[in-house]
Amino acid sequence: MSRATVELDFFGLEKGKKFLHRQRSFREIQSAISKINPELLKSVIASGSANQKSSNSELSLSVPSSPNGDQIVSPALPVYVRNDNNNNNNILHRESTTAPLTIFYNGTVSVFDVPRAKAESILKLAIEGSSKAVESATADTQLLDNLDGDLPIARRKSLQRFLEKRKERITFVSPYACHT
Amino acid sequence: MFNLIPEDWGGYVTPWVRAIAESFNCLRSLHFRRMIVRDSDLELLASTRGRVLQALKIDKCSGFSTDGLFFIGHFCRNLKTLFLEESSIIEKDGKWLHELAMNNTVLETLNFYMTYLTEVKFEDLELIARNCRSLNSVKISDCEILDLVDFFRAAVVLEEFCGGSFNEQPEKYSAVSLPQKLCRLGPTYMGKNEMPIVFPFASLLKKLDLLYALLDTEDHCTLIQRCPNLEVLETRNVIGDRGMEVLSRCCKRLKRLRIERGDDEQGMEDEGGLVSQRGLIALAQGCLELEYLAIYVSDITNSSLECMGTYSKNLCDFRLVLLDREDRITDLPLDNGVRALLRGCEKLRRFALYLRPGGLTDVGLGYIGQHSQHVRWMLLGYVGESDAGLLEFSRGCPSLQKLEMRGCCFSEQALAAAVMQLTSLRYLWVQGYRASAAAPGRDLLAMVRPFWNIELIPSRRVVDPSQIGEAVMVEHPAHILAYYSLAGQRTDFPGTVTPLDPEALHE
Repeated sequence: MSRATVELDFFGLEKGKKFLHRQRSFREIQSAISKINPELLKSVIASGSANQKSSNSELSLSVPSSPNGDQIVSPALPVYVRNDNNNNNNILHRESTTAPLTIFYNGTVSVFDVPRAKAESILKLAIEGSSKAVESATADTQLLDNLDGDLPIARRKSLQRFLEKRKERITFVSPYACHT
Repeated sequence: MFNLIPEDWGGYVTPWVRAIAESFNCLRSLHFRRMIVRDSDLELLASTRGRVLQALKIDKCSGFSTDGLFFIGHFCRNLKTLFLEESSIIEKDGKWLHELAMNNTVLETLNFYMTYLTEVKFEDLELIARNCRSLNSVKISDCEILDLVDFFRAAVVLEEFCGGSFNEQPEKYSAVSLPQKLCRLGPTYMGKNEMPIVFPFASLLKKLDLLYALLDTEDHCTLIQRCPNLEVLETRNVIGDRGMEVLSRCCKRLKRLRIERGDDEQGMEDEGGLVSQRGLIALAQGCLELEYLAIYVSDITNSSLECMGTYSKNLCDFRLVLLDREDRITDLPLDNGVRALLRGCEKLRRFALYLRPGGLTDVGLGYIGQHSQHVRWMLLGYVGESDAGLLEFSRGCPSLQKLEMRGCCFSEQALAAAVMQLTSLRYLWVQGYRASAAAPGRDLLAMVRPFWNIELIPSRRVVDPSQIGEAVMVEHPAHILAYYSLAGQRTDFPGTVTPLDPEALHE
């Protein structure tokens, strides 16, 4: 089954920041890709929709394994590849049904684990948003109202904090650490 | 607590404390929840009512420091219960606990769980245990367990302990002997290697809190099967369907089960650590005494809910959240399952259902209205398809007093109409809805009536520090908050809150 595999290169991310593989809130994704080149995105979505008729393709990128949070993935040259129905020159294939949305920019990698529908709406919104963003400062709040009320499932503060602390412990503790 | 309502939304205790200081001569017990408390409030309260006060609960509050607690420790010498769980406390030192230890001999419940206080001295805990011969329940922040050996030895009648941490080599913990009567335990940061510390008295355990433990699915199975008398279990979904099956087989007395959402990030939790319809069915069939269930599931079917309706005859409180990680859910919409559950669980008083678009149709929402005769509180997330569903829902629910909704597609018009139809409603909270295009709030005018306060919290951007240390701008959608009050519109609301002004909207 062929899949639409596309690598996107676009603007809007801060320099030199390490991105961890984690599930991001809808809002973060929106702010991160607010200035995507609209023409580029339109063609991406068009190629994704075209493939939908033929197969269960996902409008998403895929990497075989997610980068470890502490690694900085060495930058690939920015590449835009459109999936062609006729040849299977896809960069990467994945067997599973949901592939993450991966963004390469300026030597950093962001991986967003979102369902396909969300990825599409993000890109669609970015196209709408980027054309409006230049116009006025209130464009972002307009985007907000247009959103389908997409709210992340809230988590209790104490549990959130515990999960973060646990992650810190795992990052800093090694088998050779001395116990005081 | 869930970062849904702004931190400073209002609710200062100062007017209450002033009234108490002036007139409430016999006040024995005071409980503030999610309010803003200042050190000056605590000082006033303690100095005026310290002698009579026996129970003080400052529950998920914020705005005060350990200086304020010092006054409590100093003046409230008859305090049997001091409860501070999940409050945001500015920590200056640990003197407050020392002051409490020096002045109190009647303390039974001490709780500063999830407050992240680090300056407290374990010697003061030990002193409290020695002085307070009735000390029954202690829940603390993460103090090293090995430092508490003497505390445990002194607390001879202790039945409940939560908190602590296990930072040393696992072998060292075999020397720790926990109090004989301990039957409620919440060992924070306990891992597989330290788990054997619990085994000697696991069969006595009635309550187990594993929310903040470091156990995987297998560990859960190992531990739970040793706890035949377990009545209350709280943990994350790392328990998995397998753990649920062990629970079903071994814990026939289970009354309350809470399964929270673990880490979403890959690799952080056990691969098998997901709960689905399989676990629910096992639970329903095995734990017939179940009264309370709060659960985050990764997959669900109508038949599992029907099963609950058949077996869970003692269920009073049911809360289900369908996680959003998986694209495909086995069996949606859940109309029939929800109906069966509501019809079968006749004792149900509290009900929460948090799904996704397509999770429940308008027909299903109508079923909730028809079959929730005695339900007093509901939280609904991503249910229904259109205003018609909400209107059908609100024709029922005769006992519904408090309604909370998130991520629903309903218009202001439908919300107002629903409010007017829900005969018992006295509190409404909505986040994520369709505002009136012309002027936000205009269509809510239909529910304006005496004593019904309507407040709007417009959408705003907030810097959210909790996302792994990065400061990220997060959009918070608009809220509607409405409630009955005999005191008129409140005056202590912050700038983020806008009381609905009918005159302004009529223009």
